[in-house]
Amino acid sequence: MLKYTFDWSIVTSGKYFEWLVSGMKITLELSAVGIIGAFVLGLLIAVMKMSHFRPLRWIASAYLEFFRNTPLLIQIFFWYFGSYKVLPTVVNDWLNSTNFEFAAAAIALTIYTSAFIAEDIRSGILSIPREQMEAARSAGFSYLRSMQYIILPQAVRITVPPLVNQFLNLAKNSSLAMTIGVMELTYQARQVESYTFKGFEAFTAATVVYLVLSVSITAFMDQYNKRVLNPHRA
Amino acid sequence: MKRFAAVLMGLALVGTFGTAALAAAPADTLAEAKKKGVLVAGVKDSLPPFGYVDEKSREIVGYDIDFVKAIARKLNVKLELKPVTSASRMPQLTEGNIDIIAATMTKNPERAKQIGFSHTYFATGQKFITNKGKVKSLKDLEGKKIGTAKGSTSEQNVKTAIPTATVLAFDDYPQAFLALQQGKVAAVTTDEAILAGILAKAPNKAKFEIPPVQISNEPYGLGMRKDDAKFIAFVDKTILEMEKSGEAKKIFEKWFGKGTDFQLKRTFKITADK
Repeated sequence: MLKYTFDWSIVTSGKYFEWLVSGMKITLELSAVGIIGAFVLGLLIAVMKMSHFRPLRWIASAYLEFFRNTPLLIQIFFWYFGSYKVLPTVVNDWLNSTNFEFAAAAIALTIYTSAFIAEDIRSGILSIPREQMEAARSAGFSYLRSMQYIILPQAVRITVPPLVNQFLNLAKNSSLAMTIGVMELTYQARQVESYTFKGFEAFTAATVVYLVLSVSITAFMDQYNKRVLNPHRA
Repeated sequence: MKRFAAVLMGLALVGTFGTAALAAAPADTLAEAKKKGVLVAGVKDSLPPFGYVDEKSREIVGYDIDFVKAIARKLNVKLELKPVTSASRMPQLTEGNIDIIAATMTKNPERAKQIGFSHTYFATGQKFITNKGKVKSLKDLEGKKIGTAKGSTSEQNVKTAIPTATVLAFDDYPQAFLALQQGKVAAVTTDEAILAGILAKAPNKAKFEIPPVQISNEPYGLGMRKDDAKFIAFVDKTILEMEKSGEAKKIFEKWFGKGTDFQLKRTFKITADK
């Protein structure tokens, strides 16, 4: 029988606590940048995919299939190591002098997640019967106004739950950034483990932070859905 | 509130499984290994010449492996090799998946609180690989990015020696070296013997060098469970005998000496150093 003495003090104060907090900050930054970037980019791709102009549709389809169907880890390596081969030396030197690790991870997370978000948004818009658009147009609304007042308010409501899923996935996927040396939460938990061998405590602390982050995202989106999108139903 | 309850239940489940996993590790490996007829060693499998997969035989070979082989032979049991990483080797040992760690592990006081170490069976120091002619002293690395692998002691040593440097820890050394080739880091740091192994395999090795700048001493020890006193004493005795008979020196020459890519000189002896 192995004796394992729990020592929670290492993750609640002192040097290792600071490591975990600094990791948490980077995880929050990565998640925030990723969620905003992926939403904006996803909206753009969804619109492109529904465009009446064929080349735009093709570009959007290629983008979707490529980034949805390759592993995120490989995409992170692609942006970090692969970009070196195609970029000119001047650009590489400049990138390498900046915090390129964070940037490459943020780009990979944003693009990967935007492909999923685009499909969620598109299916939300498609779920609104076409007759509504026709009715709005015959009532004298322009195409854009019909979208603004009739279609999008309903579509966004339908899209919120799958969007929450994508945001949660992104927040958790950010831990893959540690493979290229971004010192986020999982990375720091592993470091604490290698220095103290209190892996159980370190990873429990990290788990709690991820849980709080995920539950906060869900709660925020819930409230947004209730108060802003469906004020009459609540 | 419902969600909170669900979260708490999840945590409780994790706790139960975690505690169960920590339960079964034999306290007397010596007796246990003899009974089962097998000794399980955790070794590196991608780190020439300490432990790596031989291209012809498809078996793990190396300096570390020769030492555990000798110990298993002395015990008169079969040897089973399990690949481990720097981050996984300690939990694997304490959880009882392996009986002994022979995986380029530096002895340090933090680790010694958790596991028992043998006498030093290999000694090296932490150095850097850099672009040729770029680094003459530690000063040349101030404010630069330096790459290493996760879960090793190398990272903290650099932070102490060059506080202004940024350390990037990659998953493994080949990636850290790729980052050096692409100019993403100014140097890759870890124990000299490992660096020599990376450099020996590099396709464009003429561009790189290991400057004579050392930031720490790294004595490697074999790791065993802390309360396993009989087994620790047995291993210590075995490797001291290997030094006396010249077998330890032979193993060193086989993997590091003349005729190898490393050409290192043996500057240490296995002694009772605890």
